Amino acid sequence: MKHLAYKDHFHLSDSDLQKILHVALSRGGDFAEIYLEHKSFSLINMEEDIIKETSESISLGLGIRVNSGDKTGYAYTNDISIEKIKNAALTAASISSESSAQDPTSFCPTPLPHNFYPVLDPAHLASLGDKISLVRQTYDAAQKFDPKIKKVKASLVDQIQHVRIVNSEGLSIADGRPLVKLVCLAVAEHSGKREAGYCGGGGKVGLEYFRHVLTPEGIGQEAAKESLHLLEATSPPAGEMPVVLAPGHSGVLIHEAVGHLLEADFIRKKTSIFWDKMGSQVGLPTLTIYDDPTLLNFRGSYNVDDEGTIPKKTPLIVEGKLVGLLQDRLSSRLMGLPETGHGRRQDFTCIPIPRMSNTYIDKGEYDPEEIIKSVNKGFYAQKFQGGQVEDSGKFTFSVSSGFLIENGRLTSPVKQATLIGTNIDILNKIEKVGADLQFGFQTGTCGKEGQAVPVTDGCPTLKISRMTVGGQS
Amino acid sequence: MTKANAGSPLKALAENLVMFGRSHGADEIEVTILEGTEFSVDVRLGHIENLCEAGSRGLSLRVIKDQKTAHASSSDLDKAQLENLVANAIKRAELAGRDECGGLPHLRKSQIKASALLLYDPEIPVLDPNKKIELALETERIGLSDKRITNSHGASFETRVIRTTLVNSSGFSREYEETFCSLGLGLQAGETDNKVEGSWASTQRTFKDLETSEKIASTCIERTVRQLHPRKIQTQAAPVVFEPPMTSWLLGFLFACVSGNAIYQKTSFLTDRLGDKVAGDAIFVSDDGLKPGLLGTTPFDSEGVPSQRTQIIERGILKNYLCNTYAARKLNLKSTGNADGGGIGPHNFYLHAGTLPPQKIISTLDEGLILIRTIGHGLNPINGDISRGAFGLWVEKGEIVYPVSEITISGNLGSILNSIEKIGNDLEFRSPIAGPTIKISELTIAGA
Repeated sequence: MKHLAYKDHFHLSDSDLQKILHVALSRGGDFAEIYLEHKSFSLINMEEDIIKETSESISLGLGIRVNSGDKTGYAYTNDISIEKIKNAALTAASISSESSAQDPTSFCPTPLPHNFYPVLDPAHLASLGDKISLVRQTYDAAQKFDPKIKKVKASLVDQIQHVRIVNSEGLSIADGRPLVKLVCLAVAEHSGKREAGYCGGGGKVGLEYFRHVLTPEGIGQEAAKESLHLLEATSPPAGEMPVVLAPGHSGVLIHEAVGHLLEADFIRKKTSIFWDKMGSQVGLPTLTIYDDPTLLNFRGSYNVDDEGTIPKKTPLIVEGKLVGLLQDRLSSRLMGLPETGHGRRQDFTCIPIPRMSNTYIDKGEYDPEEIIKSVNKGFYAQKFQGGQVEDSGKFTFSVSSGFLIENGRLTSPVKQATLIGTNIDILNKIEKVGADLQFGFQTGTCGKEGQAVPVTDGCPTLKISRMTVGGQS
Repeated sequence: MTKANAGSPLKALAENLVMFGRSHGADEIEVTILEGTEFSVDVRLGHIENLCEAGSRGLSLRVIKDQKTAHASSSDLDKAQLENLVANAIKRAELAGRDECGGLPHLRKSQIKASALLLYDPEIPVLDPNKKIELALETERIGLSDKRITNSHGASFETRVIRTTLVNSSGFSREYEETFCSLGLGLQAGETDNKVEGSWASTQRTFKDLETSEKIASTCIERTVRQLHPRKIQTQAAPVVFEPPMTSWLLGFLFACVSGNAIYQKTSFLTDRLGDKVAGDAIFVSDDGLKPGLLGTTPFDSEGVPSQRTQIIERGILKNYLCNTYAARKLNLKSTGNADGGGIGPHNFYLHAGTLPPQKIISTLDEGLILIRTIGHGLNPINGDISRGAFGLWVEKGEIVYPVSEITISGNLGSILNSIEKIGNDLEFRSPIAGPTIKISELTIAGA
């Protein structure tokens, strides 16, 4: 197993960086940081039976942050001449207007204490030919699955991101992060109806993942199956009813209904509905939720967050009680609470903010079969397009496919429904938690304040006693 | 401002790279350089939270060899690096499939002058940072001065200046500069477990056209507090009035469904429907990249095809799809100048205004919903299905009686287009996709 160690692309000496930190603190800020990032990205697209597009992209730049109390000054540049960088440092420094300059502590590089993404066969070093054949296998598997499959798209996206963080408190740490995703979209047509199915996999993995964990054939076939399933599906009933969430993909619910609202910035600003509920019982005792950036090879994992903090598995809700927050550096300082290593950013142009990584509901004790059997008439939500939440706790998530539950059994397939609720209300309606914890596709991206970061969600089978289902009939 | 044919250093860089590509085996090559500066300030509860200022540039290119295409991009504009990137792309192109629809557009003569389109405001690059900060502070201050407001998401002021340079091997070589500024506010009202939230922003190319702090704050307050103390309603089918931002949202979905890429890929329910009656007689939808000063206006698209005005729906009949060069060749049509990177983008895509004041439309609701916000996903272009979480105001006998939340609306774009009963006179181009107030005869609303 390899560790993809940080590779420098900046040719800036430690003393250069130290000088830049000096400039950044020259107007009296109390913290300065340089985030150096180099990312190379490759994309292969197959459509209409040909490799339609290959793309290679390189991005290089650095961001300079200066904190002065709760204020942040930020500047970035992708022109990495010392002159330009010093200008950027001065711009960021102007957030503070004190006359006394601080001296940064000199740093010495800290090695990473662990590697959460060991890989055998790094995608960014593989030949384009090998990667194209993965895409082809995916494509062919979907297309040959059934004559009703009329159109397929398959693509492989991989990147390697090298980040280094140095700050005025003497920290210097670096990480090399792989990220791979192989996805397939299949469109099935039959008697005038047309439906699309999706499947994908990957993570912070090497290409061996597509031999040992999820094969290209598996991904292609699953997308095809999904589109065929949807051809048979009808619109769900509309109204309030019991809802059972399938394991894995339904983790989106917890990402929206709980995760976002426990990001420390929303708590600190008292905009989150949870701000005054720390330590209180917000759900039934069967409910335990974690965010864990340390899961091996997961898409949302990282060895070090984007501010240089070593991440921890963070309990958010334990046995129904609100116990933890997702912290970044600034919020943890302002709130006087420990850091959890959840300060993330999309890229060097962005200020780090508290974000989720891999968020999941821990397994409970119910047999999933029993959970379904306990519902007389309801909705089984299986796959999701995504969700959205507001600080007030109102959230929705969009179900792309599922089933009706009638007399304790899954019956007719159902498509395109929106579930809506308020988190405080729903948490108290999660009646039963299954023993079958699973994670959704390793292809998800979460957006907040215009910044996209890779994440995963997971959960076991769940029963929600009542929830509003938006359908058409 | 941009002077015609005044070559900037970046244009020279792009031209050299095109020549390098041609002499190293590319049949065709296109180089785009974006150079920009950005300023943004976020304030909250009377203090600066974040202040960001930066400049950046990036180059993207595509090469075509033997009808095979490869793309590349880089933020490192070092000449040797870029030449390496081009050489690699030429090699990579050989591994792609041969595609006779690929390649650059033929050069079209264009009389459009960027300067006539009013894309650039010379005031924006020289705005005093303190003035920008003060505007954000002032907007929030007015918002918080209303007693019903209990918390703030903060106010932001942002400016951007972008120079686009496009050079290709078919003889196209032009550049233009544009500016944007935007001022926005987010507020909360209500107590801890019964919070509601609202936001409002104004985005313009010209600083003097921006809405005032007072206007933005008062709109934001009104849009927030009107949601206080919502009720749930019973599941039912009812008429729904869309406020302009909601009509724009619906049109965004229509845009995705008439985009040439979705059409040739057959992932839109409007595939193979040109010339069909797809909407009511009163429906006219256009895309017009030439309207001076608007957010979706541009002299040429990302392939150098001149912008134009395209009729999408006329008297309910589907007249055109929006295409880049590739989709147009796939569909045997002509590019409408809507190329946007590899995709297709809107250039002021709008539903033509009607004659009714919005208040008049609401007064025709005997019982129904005014849709004010939606959240979530739930748009499926392949069949036109819509299903979204929604917030609204319930109307009885033409009067708003209470706000509603925790509902979803669902319907189908195909049927909605045929059930737009009334169209308002309040069309405003607040984004590159815009529409006035409309009334839909019936949608399913899921509630209790």
